[in-house]
Amino acid sequence: MYAAFALLAGIVAGIFLQPTVPDWMAPYLPIAVIAALDAVFGGLRARLDRIFDSKVFVVSFVANVLVAAFIVFLGDQLGVGSQLSTAVVVVLGIRIFGNVAAIRRHIFKA
Amino acid sequence: MPEEPDTGSTERAVRRNPVPALLTSLLGDSLDPGYAAAAQRRDGTASPPDGRRGPARWWYWAAGLLAVGLVLGIAARATAASAPSAENTRSALLGDVRAAQQRVDALAARASALGAGIRSVQQSLGATALLSTVADLEQDGGMTPMHGPGLQIVIDNAGDANGPGAIQDSDIDLLVNGLWASGAEAVSVGGVRLRTTSTIRQAGGAMLVDNTPVFFPIAIDAVGDPSRLHVAIVATEGFARFSAFASLYHIRFDLEAKTDITLPAAPAPDLRYASAVPTSR
Repeated sequence: MYAAFALLAGIVAGIFLQPTVPDWMAPYLPIAVIAALDAVFGGLRARLDRIFDSKVFVVSFVANVLVAAFIVFLGDQLGVGSQLSTAVVVVLGIRIFGNVAAIRRHIFKA
Repeated sequence: MPEEPDTGSTERAVRRNPVPALLTSLLGDSLDPGYAAAAQRRDGTASPPDGRRGPARWWYWAAGLLAVGLVLGIAARATAASAPSAENTRSALLGDVRAAQQRVDALAARASALGAGIRSVQQSLGATALLSTVADLEQDGGMTPMHGPGLQIVIDNAGDANGPGAIQDSDIDLLVNGLWASGAEAVSVGGVRLRTTSTIRQAGGAMLVDNTPVFFPIAIDAVGDPSRLHVAIVATEGFARFSAFASLYHIRFDLEAKTDITLPAAPAPDLRYASAVPTSR
């Protein structure tokens, strides 16, 4: 319950406080979104598996965002930024898909 | 990691084509292994229910979700903010293109008006014989507007510009060359007068005549003796191709004799490298 409130509060704050995104940060925003979705669905699945741990949730989210951003940053410096961001999106996308499938099995038993 | 030497054990199934470990872990372990490890540290028990969770844990949880929400909210806001700017850029570019086209039209009109002025001044000065030669040359080069009886051909695609039945640039080329061969004295394609260096090319879905985009249905006007043109064009390869297209793909292909067709002047030739040889008097 509190979790949903915190998530909603974050989204509302992000939309209405209109924090300005610095230009250098703009390429990493989509990556951060994918990593955030991965963390949320991973956490939800862990919750349903009854092995949820809030520390793991927070640390994995922050670390994933940082590592993904770093990989993309490195790729940008090497001239393969778009390919590496594709790699990050593919890996995180597969994870999101697998987690959502597991959540679906939990909820619908199918 | 080095392969384990085969100890001769027969119970171990040998996989000839092992699945790469990377792909297996990617497809199998969609959940962060940290959760399982943390559960193991708690002696494999389930996570404590909300009520018994310590305050520190609770704050982790709330702060993490707040951060996640912030990221999603900021991204939503940034996406919404960048969409109109992309749209604005597009419409501004379109406006620029239109303004440039209008400017080209205005300049071309001014150039032909100035050309007409020059001709009338030259005529009033005399030198008629020389001027008539120049006028003939200008007519041959397509630099003056012309009118006269002729033939109008209207062609149009049979549907999608990329599907079957789409007219290609080379088809129009062939048809126009047929018109020249049939004795046309001046030709315009889609309202663009052809000069000696004109090209008809295709760029994506657009047809470019002398780098000016023209749109289907395209009217091809040719000045010449209409009956002679009509008889001669029927024997050309271009006509045969288009009449085959018309019966096979149902493209539009209409021929009509006109008593008076007016063709605009072609733009003056743009010489980039050539300049006149200085004459010694």
